[in-house]
Amino acid sequence: MAGALTERDFVAKLEQAGFEEIEVVSRDPRSVDDSAMYPLFTPEVIELMRRLLTPERQERVTTAVVVRARKSA
Amino acid sequence: MTRDLLHAEDVREVVRKAYGALDGGTTAVACMLYSSEELALVPDSAVDRALGVANHLRHAEIEPGETILDLGCGAGIDTVLAAHRTGSEGRVLALDFLPQMLERTAAAAAEVGLTNVETLEGEIEAIPLPDACVDHVVSNGVINLAPRKARVLAECARVLRPGGKLTVSDLTVDDDELPPEILTNPATWAG
Repeated sequence: MAGALTERDFVAKLEQAGFEEIEVVSRDPRSVDDSAMYPLFTPEVIELMRRLLTPERQERVTTAVVVRARKSA
Repeated sequence: MTRDLLHAEDVREVVRKAYGALDGGTTAVACMLYSSEELALVPDSAVDRALGVANHLRHAEIEPGETILDLGCGAGIDTVLAAHRTGSEGRVLALDFLPQMLERTAAAAAEVGLTNVETLEGEIEAIPLPDACVDHVVSNGVINLAPRKARVLAECARVLRPGGKLTVSDLTVDDDELPPEILTNPATWAG
């Protein structure tokens, strides 16, 4: 998640790559608890997130988006 | 924002090591993202290694006969689901940079009798396919792991035929940054 873009930048990069009809069709906030389901996150980094983030921010660390687009015809 | 807290090669190495060390235990992730009907189509070996971030295939307009590229296929859960939908007239090219992931994907496809899955070893920043050879690119939670995301998306455009479809899920962040203590922890570059 440290390499994640903002939704705005993600869409901009799709446009730059030649995609059109770009639409974000789903947005789901992902919490610290959601992150803890993935073994990629070590217990140490989960604890760090719980300690450093406000309770509100812990509920939306990232957002999982689904994006559809088409390559220009 | 594109962060430059780690060197690109360091990011690749962190991701390679983290994913290479994984061996299951994520059935709860699969149950969060997929319906029981979807999971019934996938071997337990792939369900227990689900690492996606959303169910993009639920939003993907997959037509029978399509050639689909699954970018960063992991243990194969989305590859198998896409292969069921494109049918025997179509095919799914499952790309991953880790040979063990490709072996798991191939085994998962074989276990459910799919013959329309081909595995492909390579980097998503340099897709080892010719221009305009696929109808649909799908990917689940992988693009954020790449140091050069613009390059990844340019590669997706290159391998898609004109008018081809892209349906991807990925993590995004808000404008307010996470604390540097979190962003500089290698685990957050792989997770």
